[in-house]
Amino acid sequence: MERYDVAVLGGGLLGCFMARELRRYPLKVVLAEAREDVCTGISRANTAIVYTGCDTRPGTLKTRLCVEANRGFDTLCRELGVPFSRRGSLMVSYGPRADRVLQNKLLQGMENGVEGLRLLSGREAEEQERGLAPGVSSALYAPGTGVADPWGLCYAAWENALANGVAPWLGAPVTDLLPEHGGWRVVTLRGELWAAAVVNCCGLHADQVQELAAPPSVRISPEKADYLMLDEGAGNYVGHVIFHEPEEKGKGLTLVPTLEGKLLLGPTEEGAAGPASATTTAGLGRLRQLAAQVAPQLDLNLTIRSFAGVRPRPYSVVSARSIHDFTITNPARGLWSLIGIKTPGLTCAQALGAWLAPQVAETLGRREPDPTFRPERKAPVRPRTMSREERAALVARDPAYGRILCRCGGITEGEVRDAIRRGAVTLDGVKRRVGTGLGRCQGSFCTDRVMELLSRMLGAPPEDLWKDGPGSRLLTGGRYGEG
Amino acid sequence: MEKVDLLVVGGGAAGMSAALAAASAGPVSVLLADRETRLGGILPQCIHHGFGLGYFRRDLTGPEYAGRIIAQMEGAAVSVRLNTTVLSLSQRRTAELSGPTGYETISFRRLILAAGCRERTIGSLPVTGTRPAGVYTAGLVQRMLNLRHWKPGRRALVLGSGDLGLIVARRLALEGCQVVGVVEQKGSCGGMVRNYRSCLMEQNIPLITKATVTRLHGEGRLTGVTLRRLDSGKEERVACDTLVTALGLIPERELLAGLGDKVPGWASLCGNCDYVHDIVDTVTTQAEELGRQVGLELLGRG
Repeated sequence: MERYDVAVLGGGLLGCFMARELRRYPLKVVLAEAREDVCTGISRANTAIVYTGCDTRPGTLKTRLCVEANRGFDTLCRELGVPFSRRGSLMVSYGPRADRVLQNKLLQGMENGVEGLRLLSGREAEEQERGLAPGVSSALYAPGTGVADPWGLCYAAWENALANGVAPWLGAPVTDLLPEHGGWRVVTLRGELWAAAVVNCCGLHADQVQELAAPPSVRISPEKADYLMLDEGAGNYVGHVIFHEPEEKGKGLTLVPTLEGKLLLGPTEEGAAGPASATTTAGLGRLRQLAAQVAPQLDLNLTIRSFAGVRPRPYSVVSARSIHDFTITNPARGLWSLIGIKTPGLTCAQALGAWLAPQVAETLGRREPDPTFRPERKAPVRPRTMSREERAALVARDPAYGRILCRCGGITEGEVRDAIRRGAVTLDGVKRRVGTGLGRCQGSFCTDRVMELLSRMLGAPPEDLWKDGPGSRLLTGGRYGEG
Repeated sequence: MEKVDLLVVGGGAAGMSAALAAASAGPVSVLLADRETRLGGILPQCIHHGFGLGYFRRDLTGPEYAGRIIAQMEGAAVSVRLNTTVLSLSQRRTAELSGPTGYETISFRRLILAAGCRERTIGSLPVTGTRPAGVYTAGLVQRMLNLRHWKPGRRALVLGSGDLGLIVARRLALEGCQVVGVVEQKGSCGGMVRNYRSCLMEQNIPLITKATVTRLHGEGRLTGVTLRRLDSGKEERVACDTLVTALGLIPERELLAGLGDKVPGWASLCGNCDYVHDIVDTVTTQAEELGRQVGLELLGRG
């Protein structure tokens, strides 16, 4: 049986960063992920917003980590070679109730140590954002709000973890967790391993995994939210991230100008109903209705995709009440669980790892830093961000970077090839790494090209390729010419 | 920087015919760029008949139609750059080209944009539910079947009864896929009568009018869709592992997007990129006329 110091369970944003941060210490780390690739669970769908920390109560771990993480986000993204844009946000109100919410957030944010917050008059806000419906009564400006690339960040953390020696166990769903020789025997469908400590980052399943080894304490009830993605023509509709605080109770509209120049609308607020990742008429209808109300000139015909994301809402088994702070349990010696980490989970993914890793290292008696750890990851080649001269030189060196494979995103065959070398084994694994299929044609023109490359590089017939994991075969009609 | 008189973007029926006509007007330098590895645009994947009745007075398949024009390209004074994408245009009449042979800027005097169309996708419809594998545009299914020799599914529903939807429904049926129906919002078939007969009636594929798809089911692969009858409002679940969307064509004019609201005087649109033609024959005729005109203008005789 392979032996490790720490086994991280789950390869989402939390798990990948946890594994990376653990490697700052002289620890032998393994990451076990149920699926064929990382970034396949709840890390897949979120707003991409890096929050400042003015939305949560003072004194909580969530607030502390969020404020710290926000300050360090530029450095983190530079280190890992992922794009990040500090666009700033405007939280806008249209009446007295929402005005009060904004004032409270301003005070709360100041108490939390968020810098640069400012209340603007309705007129000031309307001058800055001409697309907003008239009648803004006030706005809370937060210059520190950013927009990240959540997928890019997850893969970067993963690649950095791998480069620092983390052992990958993919396709290894955990089925049992047994205390053994002062540590844990981790039973997976890929085999068994032993680790002195286990950190459970299993997202929506974190409660179930913890309960393999400990009595129930915190459970997760999945919450679903719908989103709309609008094409590039809508990307300039707003310059900031816009949070609309509605006058009536309930969730308002969030408008996010993405790094790729598109516009994301959402999320809605809904309970968990039906299949976890299915959009609903009510959810999408609510988004359209809010958009008409807050951003009246926005052309919703530019919608290229609607999708749903899932968030793990944690509640106490004892009180049945929702838990609002980050929940990190330590139910048995050498076992930690991150249960129900939702917004601002993307903002805090690295910070959570950096917060817990020293505790794990300390428990294992290895709190001296590992001098061999390297925090940098070299950014993947992205021809479309290069100068004309750099690009010409690149294509001269490697013609694959000249051949455009995805016309909407201007993504080259070289980038897709790199994505497969970096670990993509499915169509969506490529999509999330380099952006193919995310544009206005939604994969009409590039799907077969990406499949051809996957098939060739993985040595798998096209009939065996998945869109996104088991059960999602892309071709089900059998071999050509047979019936 | 390489300089040409005319840059033609797109090597389908429109681009080839425009380039040929311009080059035959006199000594003008013509460069045609296409992102595919071969000329013909969408025609090589259209292996059915019905092309050329107007222009060539013959019933040809798509590849045959393309082949006739490609044959004219050989020996014509048109330089062709395949596998090459025109990434952007500037008001100074330059274009950025990217291909395996290089990344370069080309300056031109006139431009003909013949980039064809893309399809409307399901993302533009208020369809709810999951986002499983097995939802493809008709053009992608056609490419899978006819060019890749891949069979996308076992049991398919086609949404949209335009000609492309009908033709793909028949191709799927001929490859052994069970086509449970072609769904049309309106009261009657959207495609030509001859296609309705040969693609649906002869293949026993039902046309389901006044209906649409409102929801997708299935976590990994599509398992079914919710079909809504638009007159009664009744909904039913239809089992299928493939949904083919044939929702209409949108001209690909994004190259012009950065150049202001009006098409600049030096640029002309041609073929389906100008407006969606019902048949390819009129594309060729229109493109020849435009190409000749642009050629003469470049020679100062326009």
